[in-house]
Order: sequence, then structure tokens, then C-alpha cells
Amino acid sequence: MIKGKKTIMRKIILFLLIAGLIFNLAGCSQEAVVAGGNEDLLEKSWKSILEEAEGTEISFYGWGGSQMTNDWLDNFLVPRLKEEYNITLNRVPMDIDQVLNKLLGEKQMNVTGTADVIWINGENFSTARSNDLLYGPFTHKLPNFNQYIDAESVEVKYDFGFPVEGYEAPYGKAQFVLVYDEARVEQVPKGHEELMELVKNNPGKFTYPAPPDFTGSAFIRNIIYDIVGYEQFITMEADKEVIAKAIQPAMDYLKELKPYLWRNGETYPATIAQLDNMYADHEVFMSMNYNPNEAAARIKTGEFPRTTNTFVFEKGTIGNTHFLAIPDNAPNKAGALAVIDFILSVEAQASKYNPDNWGDLPVLDNTRLSDSERVIFDDIQIGEGALPQHILLDHRVPEMPANFVPIIEEIWMENIL
Amino acid sequence: MKKTIKPYIMLLPAMTIFFGIFVAGLSMTFLQSLGYFPAIGLREFTLNHYKEVLTDHGFLTSLRFSLWIAFVSSSISVVLGVLLAYSIVNSKHKKGLEEIVYKLPVIVPHVVAALLVYNILGQSGILARMAYALGVISQQSEFPALLFDKNGIGIILAYVWKGTPFIAMVVYTVLSNMNNKLSEVALNLGATNKQVFWHVLIPLTMPSIFSSFIIIFAFSFGAYEVPFLIGPTAPRALPVQAYAEYMNPDWSHRPYTMTINMVLTFISFLCIWVYYKIFKLLNKYNG
Repeated sequence: MIKGKKTIMRKIILFLLIAGLIFNLAGCSQEAVVAGGNEDLLEKSWKSILEEAEGTEISFYGWGGSQMTNDWLDNFLVPRLKEEYNITLNRVPMDIDQVLNKLLGEKQMNVTGTADVIWINGENFSTARSNDLLYGPFTHKLPNFNQYIDAESVEVKYDFGFPVEGYEAPYGKAQFVLVYDEARVEQVPKGHEELMELVKNNPGKFTYPAPPDFTGSAFIRNIIYDIVGYEQFITMEADKEVIAKAIQPAMDYLKELKPYLWRNGETYPATIAQLDNMYADHEVFMSMNYNPNEAAARIKTGEFPRTTNTFVFEKGTIGNTHFLAIPDNAPNKAGALAVIDFILSVEAQASKYNPDNWGDLPVLDNTRLSDSERVIFDDIQIGEGALPQHILLDHRVPEMPANFVPIIEEIWMENIL
Repeated sequence: MKKTIKPYIMLLPAMTIFFGIFVAGLSMTFLQSLGYFPAIGLREFTLNHYKEVLTDHGFLTSLRFSLWIAFVSSSISVVLGVLLAYSIVNSKHKKGLEEIVYKLPVIVPHVVAALLVYNILGQSGILARMAYALGVISQQSEFPALLFDKNGIGIILAYVWKGTPFIAMVVYTVLSNMNNKLSEVALNLGATNKQVFWHVLIPLTMPSIFSSFIIIFAFSFGAYEVPFLIGPTAPRALPVQAYAEYMNPDWSHRPYTMTINMVLTFISFLCIWVYYKIFKLLNKYNG
């Protein structure tokens, strides 16, 4: 008797919980309500935006995998923002794909988020834009953007071929470089053919991180460019078969290279961090990086041997711009605008470019700088093992359209693994 | 009536969170695996993703790899764990041994276990360096490749290191609380220690051995960090595969990811069901 009662009670409670849950889900599927004040903010004068931002806190979400990057934010940006605008910046280290999943979850629940500024680019930006997760267009509102940025340049207008349309502001520039140990690599390869020769003569001493690792994926795109050129991809449609046909020679090349890689190409490092460790441990004699100054920083910290140097292929390597954006559900948009504008100042960009701090390439248009401002950048000493800016810029090719990246990674998995 | 409902009311806050998160998450996953994901504009219900996943070569290889890792590592852990527990029970310095042998690895997180295995067994790890220094090998790459290998040796070792003490802990508790009259009777009647072990102790501990096997099996089958850190690029363990799919910036891929998650969940539920059955058996023994 008592047992029967218990089961009934249990059923009732379960029913109540499920009913509650369904209400919950129904609540989620309602259309998004725009938080008040969004539209007004961009109508206001810059002065009143700054007044609104004064004394607030902002959360900066971005990749936290590099100590140099984190240090620049903590040691330069945080104290300067406090002085200038009395803004408190909280740095939240999180990979961008996780930030996007968080924003997507928040969108489903239709709630105000916690991120004010996010560090973003490439396919993640196109995903965020096509799913209406971003606030804007806002860049026309920023005084430093209007003064120092060439808004018509390809690298500002497009992010991996995807139109930016004022929904993100440039943060810094990066370019892919190969890292090698002069003591162990006799002849620096000029392109993919020389690389093949070098690897064949030194089996087991070279490898690259497996996609979806960002750097490994960029290496594969560089090989594709070196073999079949980059021009055709700008107008190509994002169709798997079309792309597969276009990059077939590069896949054949990687297949030929595979048996001479580390561990005979049976496995690949999962992350660039792992490849860098293997390089530091002398397991391999080359590494790679999408930040041209990273190797110099690691020589300085003693992680990489002093004989480390970097190079780019003669036909060039891929460069991109990384950006800052504001989520549509950001709690403090005025603060976010103030912070992004400050990052576009000469002072912040120069401090960021200094390899003692971070070594990230500046995004300001050189022709818009006054003579005294240009001197600030010219005076910065680049690190040992880093390539000077003009060599990088002379060997810089644009990124592929963002939606090609996952397709190419898929083709690589099917062909090479 | 009042009395019966009281515990449920008191449990309600905890249960709301549990069901809110767990059941809500699961139903969302299920809906998305059927292709219903209005946040990105998918509204059609279909079973195609299941068809696609269950016939996909890559998925099946991953599933096989995960089952292999979970089965081998749990089996080895059980054998070692039982032996360990038995030897602790029979040991004279029980207290000291107990503390060192099983408490430490049980506390250490799996990520740290993976790191330890990496530092010890990697081709630039401690063992490889020692072998190199002693002149056993002339190059680091001559050291056997135990990590990132297609048989998952590194992953299995990490799980064994974590699983063995757990099994030992469970079995040891059962063994030391067991009424040892039965063993004494057997010994009195002329049984050897070996016979007591096989015919008295093992049958009595069997239900707990099975249930702890299920626990570590389900864990190593569904956990992500160890195979991600020291596993091969291909085949990927199923949870690593699910994570990589989840992180795909093309969100129209999402239903596919959720289908993989549903399969993972289904197998985990299967483990819970087996565990439940064994638990009932255990109660029958005790009662």
C-alpha cells in the first residue's frame, strides 16, 4: 500500500518537473527581444558614449593561449584604460569557438550575456554574423578608426573573404611563417618542392599539426597556394567537389610527403603547442606559426634554441587581420566602444607591436600617420629571428574565404589520414 | 500523505537543477540530432543524420577505437585492482600502504594522469632520456612509440593508472568488511590460500567487481581529455570526434554532432542499466 503511494507520488513529481521543463523550452523559442538602448547608443555623440563608459567594467573574451598576449593586455591595456577612462577591464581567456557556443546558448535562452568585447576572425566571424550574434555596425563611430584606418583596404573590408560591414574593428595583423633551427637545417626551402626534398633527406624530422588546429590548417592552405596559386579561390564557389578538384595536386603532394614525416605520418601533433614542444625538445627541426614574432619571443624566454630563425616561401605566405567585435547581447556596449577605440590608438598599437610586449603587427595605415607618429613605429626593435615588416608585407597573400576552411580540413581528413 | 511527500519537497531544489540541466540538455541534444535547431534556422525533423552517422566509416572506426580503449583498460584495471586489494588485505602494514597506493591516483585528475604518462613514456620523456643516456638507444626516435599510437597504448596506460586504485578501493572495502568466517572455515577444512581466493573471496566480491568495472568502463568510454592529449590523429576516440564536430564553425553541422552525442549517451545508459541490474543482484546477496 505504502509502496503504491510512493510510486504515484514519484510519478506526479516527475510529471511536474517535465511540465516545468516544457514551459522552459517554450520560453526559449520565443523571438529575441532587443534590449533597450541599443539603437540609441550609436546615435549619441562620442563624448556622451565616453561619459557613459566612464567608471564601468568590461569583459574581454579572447584566446588566452599565449603568455605574451595575455601580458600585454594585463600590463599595458588594463592600467592604461583605468587611467584614461576609469574603465576596469576583465580579461576572460576562452577559445573563440567556445565563446560562440556560449553566445548561441544565450541567444537560445534570450538573455543578456557577459562578454562585452570578443577577439574574433575568419570562419568564426562569418558564423557569428550569419547567426546575428554581433552588434553593429559600429566602426564608423570610433574616432581612431576614422583617423588612422584605411577602411577601403581589403584587409579591413573583408575577413577571410567575408564582408566586415562595420561589425568588427581590426585589432592586429598576423602572417604565417615557418620556424627552423639553423643548426640543423642546411638549406632553407624556397617553396614546396625544396621542402619536399629537405624532408625526404631527413625523414622523421618534420610534421605539422592536424586540423582543426588553426596553424596546421593554415600550413595546408599555404601548401595549396604554393602549388596551385591563390587567385582562383577568390571567385570559386564553396562546393566540396569543386574545391577538392582544385586542390588535388596539393593533396597528392601531402600524400607523397606523409611517409617522411614524424612517426611516418601515422599520427600528427594535435596542437601547435605540442609541435612547439617537440621542436624545443629537438624531436623535429621545424615548427611554424601564424604569429611572425612568436619564435623571437620564445628564443628570448629560452624555450627555443638561439639558432632558431623564421622564413616565408618565395611565393608568399598567408596573412590575415584579427578583429574585435561586440556581441549583440553585451551588457556594456558603451564601454566596449571606448576600449576598442583606445586599442586603435597609436600608443596602443605601437606598444602591441613592440616584441618586448607582444610583437603583433599594427593595423594603422602608414600614410595616415604624422611624421612623429611614424617614428614611434620605426624605432621599435624587432626581435632576433623575426622577419622585418617589409619582407612580410612583400610576401603576403590573402586568406581563403572562411567557409572553405572546414571543407578543406574535411578533404584533408579523407585523403591524408 | 504528509510524511510521504515531505522528502520529495525537500529534494525539489536539487532535483530541479538536476532535471533542469540534465533532462533539458538531453532533450535539446535529441531534438538537434533530429535536425530541429531553430536558433540557426533548422526546423525540419529527419532521421537522415542517424542513417548517415551509423553508416559512416569514420564514425564506426572511432566507436570501435573507443570501445577497445574502454574495454582493455577496464579489464586490466580490474585484474590489477583485485590483486592489489587482496594483497593490501593480507599485508601487515595495511594503513601505510592503503594511503599511498590508492588514495593518491584516485585524487589526481585525468588530465594530470595524461600529462604524467606523456612526461614518462613520450619519445622525449623520462624513460626515453634514460635509455638514451644509458646508450640503449642512439636516437630519441628509436624509443618505442607508446603515445599517439593507433592501438591507444598511452591512453590505456593512463586509464589503468587511474582505474586500478579505484577498483582496489572498492574491492578492498568489500573484502575488509566481509565476514571472514567463511574463509576461516574453508582454511580449517584444508583449503589452500589460492582456493580460498578463487572459491570464496572472488565469488563474494564479484558483484562489486562488476559494478566498478562498469563505472570505469563508462568513464573511459565517454571521457575526452586523455585521448585528446595523448591519442592518435586517426582513429579519433568518439568523444574527441564529437568535440571536433561540435567546434566546427559551420553550425549546420550541429545535428550530425548531436547524433554522435546521442549514440554516446545511449551506450552510457546501457552501462547504467547493466550497473542497476548488478546492483540488484548485489542486494540479493546481502539481503
